[in-house]
Amino acid sequence: MILVFGGAYQGKTEYAQGLCGAAIDKADHAADICDLSNGGKPDFTKEIITGLDAFALRCVQEGVSPADYFRERRAQWEHCVLVATDISQGVVPIDAGLRAAREANGRLLIYLAEEAEQVHRVFCGIGKRIK
Amino acid sequence: MNILISGGCKNGKSFFAQQLAAELAAGRPLYYIATMIPRDEEDRARIRRHIAERAGWGFTTVEQGKSVASLIEREDVDLSGSFLLDSVTAVLENEMFPVALKDGKAEFLGEDRSAPERVRKELVAFAQAVSESGGSVVFVSDGIYGDSCGYSESTENYRRALAGADRALAAVCDRVTEVTYGITEEWK
Repeated sequence: MILVFGGAYQGKTEYAQGLCGAAIDKADHAADICDLSNGGKPDFTKEIITGLDAFALRCVQEGVSPADYFRERRAQWEHCVLVATDISQGVVPIDAGLRAAREANGRLLIYLAEEAEQVHRVFCGIGKRIK
Repeated sequence: MNILISGGCKNGKSFFAQQLAAELAAGRPLYYIATMIPRDEEDRARIRRHIAERAGWGFTTVEQGKSVASLIEREDVDLSGSFLLDSVTAVLENEMFPVALKDGKAEFLGEDRSAPERVRKELVAFAQAVSESGGSVVFVSDGIYGDSCGYSESTENYRRALAGADRALAAVCDRVTEVTYGITEEWK
């Protein structure tokens, strides 16, 4: 699994596409994407899963730990590129639900970064491998 | 040599950028592109403070809070010089959320939805024109992308547009540097 993270609007999905293309030596490869931003559960048959942060928020609202959700499905996402927006840099949210979601998101990303073969951070459309 | 500098707010980006722009000038004209269009006394005081901070650095101040590409045609500007544009954030704000000044008070005219694409293109055009003339530009932007809360629609539009401008500039700049508490990380 490869984890790609970075701030909002930084070009993370495009960068993940590039990683998938590079892995099979096809620069114009259009990878299958499962975007969790607007609802739904992860479809681990896709190459790229985006919007982990939005999924973490929904998990918390349903009383589920997103890290546990991924831990229990360890074998299913091994081949995926997981894309997460870094929501850890701002002010502590005043809303208790958002605060809990941000914490759960952090714990999820710590777990995924630990498990990942590679971790990349994206800044202004440029990616850098940090693990 | 064009350089994009970004990173969190109040992290030492402007000071680092001033040093870089002065070094890049190497005897050629050194310009500070002033991007803030003052709206009230607080803004005017901040501008006075910024001017005092730049004193002695050798900058010629050029006022251009909007329409950055028009610098290419200005007769009082030598494109082979060294430019500091601080900041991309302010230029986008001026163009996306224009105000009219009435009796010294700012009146918002609404969001200009055509601004993001126009600003992105003008910034890139300016960077390329300076590059072709043998000059350099140091662009300063702001990393405002790490929050967990959602913002209003117009603020999200603004964040998306600023990221779009940053990414377009990163693609044409020779160097992209992130500044965190005065420490630099090279991305390109």
